[in-house]
Formats: sequence, structure tokens, C-alpha cells
Amino acid sequence: MIITRDLTKKYGDFTALNKLNLKVNEGEIFCLLGANGAGKSTTINLLLNFITPSSGKAFINGLNVTDNARETKAFLTYIPENLMLYPTLTAIENLDYFLGIGGKNFSRKELEFFLHEAGLQQEAFHKRVQFFSKGMRQKVGIALAIAKDANVLLLDEPTSGLDPKSSNEFGELLLKMKKNGVAILMTTHDIFRAKEIGTHIGIMKQGQLKYNFSCNDKSLQEIENLYLETMSLKDNLL
Amino acid sequence: MFSYNFKYELKSLLRSKWLILLTIILLTLVLFAGYSGKKKVNKRVFDIEKANNTVKEQDITVLKVLDSIEKGFVINQNLRSLPTNPMNIGYSYPRVAAMYPLETAFISTGQSDLFTHYVQPKAYGDSFFFNHAEFSSPIQLLFGSFDLAFVIIYILPLIIIAFSYHIFSLEKENGSLKLMASQPISIYKWILQKTMLRFFVLSVIVVLVLTIAFIINNYNFVENLAEYLYFLLLTLTYILFWFTVVLLINIKVNNSAKNAVSLLAIWVFIILIIPAIIAQAANTFYPIPSRTKMITDVRALKDDVSKKQDKILDNFLRDHPEYASNKKQNYSFWHKYLASQDLVEDEVKPLIKSYETQLLKQQQWVKLWQYSSPAIILQQSFNDIAGTSTTHYQEYRTQVAKFSAKWRDFFVPLLYNNEKFSTKLYKQLPTFEYKKPKYTSLLFKASIVLIMSMFFLLITRILFYNKSKKGTIIN
Repeated sequence: MIITRDLTKKYGDFTALNKLNLKVNEGEIFCLLGANGAGKSTTINLLLNFITPSSGKAFINGLNVTDNARETKAFLTYIPENLMLYPTLTAIENLDYFLGIGGKNFSRKELEFFLHEAGLQQEAFHKRVQFFSKGMRQKVGIALAIAKDANVLLLDEPTSGLDPKSSNEFGELLLKMKKNGVAILMTTHDIFRAKEIGTHIGIMKQGQLKYNFSCNDKSLQEIENLYLETMSLKDNLL
Repeated sequence: MFSYNFKYELKSLLRSKWLILLTIILLTLVLFAGYSGKKKVNKRVFDIEKANNTVKEQDITVLKVLDSIEKGFVINQNLRSLPTNPMNIGYSYPRVAAMYPLETAFISTGQSDLFTHYVQPKAYGDSFFFNHAEFSSPIQLLFGSFDLAFVIIYILPLIIIAFSYHIFSLEKENGSLKLMASQPISIYKWILQKTMLRFFVLSVIVVLVLTIAFIINNYNFVENLAEYLYFLLLTLTYILFWFTVVLLINIKVNNSAKNAVSLLAIWVFIILIIPAIIAQAANTFYPIPSRTKMITDVRALKDDVSKKQDKILDNFLRDHPEYASNKKQNYSFWHKYLASQDLVEDEVKPLIKSYETQLLKQQQWVKLWQYSSPAIILQQSFNDIAGTSTTHYQEYRTQVAKFSAKWRDFFVPLLYNNEKFSTKLYKQLPTFEYKKPKYTSLLFKASIVLIMSMFFLLITRILFYNKSKKGTIIN
């Protein structure tokens, strides 16, 4: 479960995130929309403790992220916009490295199973990832989440740059994870995908969560209108 | 965490062909440096051996002549050059006072480009004291010789920089750092392990290639194991030092291109600028009087003394009544010359001392400031191990001066007692054996480099902590 309480991040006079309150329960996909610089990635960075909050708190599975940075990371998997792995290592070696370094040891067969579950083709398991597409690399990321048995998934614009087929496959994987009780927070610009797979949508503007609603409450057109409204040039300059 | 870091970092390095390239570069450089150093050492040994062989050949001839004279044969030789005259032996048949290179000499050329390695002090003259028979080319003096010390002190840091200048920044630039930082680990420990692993890998390669160079140069590991181990220890601490600098810059700057420029600037500062400043400061604070002027002054002084030689001889005979014959004796040039030598030495001493004192002060200054740069510490230590340090050459010169006096003194009683030189006396001629000074404080010097490394690590830790708090490490 992900909870933020008045989570704020300031850089001098500039407020990157202003009193964010949100809750993502197990089995929910919360899609965070917003223009560039609206505070989406700042939220993710705060939840990962890459940066410390100026005020407010963030909790992962009930643990304060700032005080229990390492413990909370054991429960979560993070997939950035462009998931970069070690190019000279194979998919299975990358998976083994990231899991092993965090103290989780798996057999070769288990690692192959996780990659298979994440939808990676078998012939790619033992190939160096330097030639992998973005979609293939993200499947390794999902395999990492499956192997870690993570109940929190943080995704920072994971579908940007993916072709429709890969984007669709990725959406399917997220739905599968949601079904398994994972709390997913995903930042995205893809309204269509958010409406399709999300349970909740939040729209951010200038560090504030302007709208927070259930996906079933609004049509795709209404979501688009709200999103465009928050992106208006006049408001963004204010 | 460590085993996984070790396993996959090594795998990545091996697959990126970096290690193979690194090994080939290091092997080529070290072997060539070893060969270059050994070539210089062999030239030294050859020159000394040549001088020794000439002496041996002369000895055979002289002993034959002496033996014939002692057996009553008539010798067809100028009476004045007969070896029965002790001063002919003292002047024309000097011994070789050689400073044989140590087995470790090929490591570091040190001062051996400047100073002579063998002299033949005669009963007359002391020009050996000022001689620099093996002057090196000015260009070589400027850049140093291509030996193992040069490769380790100058080139190895550049290899470390090329090998690891982006050890952390590349992770950030590639994006793998965010994924790594989202794992339940300490990023500081992880990057420290990664750096130490590279230190370990490079150390293994360096130790291997150095050992190969030692083996090729027929190094006697049994007799000189301590020198070999000291050499490796100093090299490893130096490698560690540069890795800590690399890590510090990676954390501080955290941009691959800027890291490379910053590290090269640090290389220039530590290896070129600091030693240059220390040398210039030494010359400014303790200028050495002109060597040419000193030699001219000494010559003038000797001329003065020679003009008073009759008076000096009288005084000498008063001080040494055992040499004053009851019979009326015609005193030769040698009588007068040898009698004046103590006086000459006393008169010359202050002149030489003023020169030596300044030189000593310069050396003390360098000794004091050597700890400002690990490159100087290492150069001094390598010269100590190789027996090519200033201390070694000063010690050699002191020993030669003592031997020269001993050689001259050997002939004084023979001359004044009108004794003839014989085959028996030939065997009693003084010989020279160079005794190398013991090097000290090598462990201390290695510890200083180690302390410098720990200091940089501590700064890195503090910097990492501060940047983590600001959130600028990962982002």
C-alpha cells in the first residue's frame, strides 16, 4: 500500500510538490497524469527516497520511507521511463545481479520462470541486453518485481516510446500484477492506457494534485478535457 | 551483496575486453621499462668490469716485472717508471672504487644518470671528487628515464583514470543507477565495493606483470625478497590512492566528461606541479653556489699551497719524525705533495662544505615536503630500493674519499722510508668495497600513502552523505 500525507518538496523558493495526499491500495493501479514538471517524477523520487521531503510523509506498506529507506525498497520494484540494464550481461544475469545484490538468491530455473512470467521470449533469456528493445528491457523489470514478490510497483512513464503492441502487452502484465494484489503507482501521459488499466487517476498541476477520481466515474473524453485544462499554457506560466 | 558485485562486475569487465587491453598495455610498458632499466644497469656493470679487467691486466704485467726484479733480472724499462718505486704504483696503478648496481637497480634510474659509478683514486689529485663522468642528456633529465618507477608513478595513474573515471557517473548517465538505487542496498557500499573490486583486479594484473618483468630480469627473489615485497607494497598503496581519488571525483563531479578533465588536472598537479614547486622552492631558499666557481677556488687554493711546499714539508717532518731520515735526503715532488695533502684538505674543506651544506639543506627540504605528493614519496622510495637515491651516491662519495686517503696513506711510509715496492706489498694494496646504506622508513612511507587514501575515502563518504541529503546523488 502506498500513502502520502501532505508530501511536499521545495527547492529554494520553487515548490516541486505541494501537500500531496494520495493512497494506493493493494490491487489498485493509480495513474498519475500531468504536464512535464507537474511533480509526477518528484512523487516517485520521494517514494524511493532518492530525495528527502521538505515536509509531509510517505509510507510504503505502513513504513515511513524516509526513516526506513532500505526496508521499504525490499517491498517495491521501480521501473523508470527508460529501464537501463547492464549491456554486457544477459537478461538472466541482469535479473540475478539485481536480485542477488538485494539479498535474494534464486536458481537458474527460477530466474527463467520469472522472465517467462514477465512475457520475455525464451530465446532472449541468455542474450546480452545491449540489443534488447525498450519493451524487452521493461519485461526484465517486471520479472524483477515478480521475483521480489513486490507488493508495490512504481512506474515512471513506462509506456512512453513503446509501440502499441508492446504498450498493450505491458498493460496486460500490469493488470496481471494488479490481480495478484500489487499496489501500482504509474506516472504517464497516455490517457488511453490510464483509462484502460487504471483503477484511479490523479491529474497534477504545478506540484498539486488537482483531480483525483475513479476511472469508472469519468469517460475518456472527460479525462482528456480535464488533462488539457491542467496543461493550459496560461495556468502553467502562473 | 559483495559476491554478486564481484561476480558480475568481473564478468562485465571481461566481456568489455577492457581487462585484456589493460593487461596488454601494462605488460608492454612494464616489460619495455624493465628492459630499458636493465640496459642502463648492464652498461654500468660493463663499464665497471672493463675498468676492473684493465686493472687485472696491469697487475699481471706489474707483478711479472716485480718478480723479475726480485729474482735479479735486468729489466729493460725506464728507471723512473719502474714499479719498485712505490709512487709509480700509487699513481699509475690505482684500484677501482666501484659502486656496483644493486639487483633492484633496474627499477629506478634515480640519480644514476647524474653520478659516476666507478672512480680510480690515485696518490695524486682528487678530481674524482668533482667528476661527473656519466652526464645524461638534458631531455632525459627533464622527463626522467623510462624505467619501472616511471611507468608506475607517471603512467599507471593515467591507466587508472582511463579505467575508472566514469565508474559511478556512467551508471547515472546510463540510467542503471536508478534501478540499482531502488534495491534495498546502500549505494555508497555498492560503489565502494565496485571501486575496490577494480582496485583488486588492476592490482592483480600489475603484480603479475611486474613479477614477470622481475623474472625476465633474472631477479633473485630468495636474496632480495624484502625489496621485491616493499616495491609491490608501495605500488599497491599508490594504486589504492589513485582509486580513492577517482571515487572522490566521481561522487563530487558526477559527470563523465568533467570527471576525466578533473582527474587529469589532479594528475598534472600531483605528479608535475607539486614536485616542480618543491624543487623551485628548494633552489630559491637554498641556492647552491656555482660548481665551476668552487672548482676554480679549490684550484687557486692548491696553487697557493704548492708555492709553500718546502715550508710545509719541514713542518710535516717535524710532526712526523719517524719519516725524517738522519741521512741527507733529496726530497722529491712526491714528498712535498704528500706532506701538503692534510693542509690542502683542511683548507679545501670549508669551500666544499659550503657547497655540500646547501645541497644537504635542499635535500632536507625535499625530504620534508615529499609527503605533499604520493608521487614524490614513491620516487624517493623506489630510488631507495634501487640503490640510486641521493643518499646512496653521497655515501658512495664519502666511502671513496676515505678510500682515497687510505690509498695515499699506504704509500707515505714507503716513500719517506725509501722502501722499494715488492710483490709482497702488492698483495697488501688497499681495496675498495662499497657498503650500501640501509634504507629506512619504507613501511612508514607506504603508511603515509595509505593514510592519504583513507583521508580521501573519508571525504568521499562525507560528500556522499551530504549529496544524498540534498538528493543530488541519484538524480
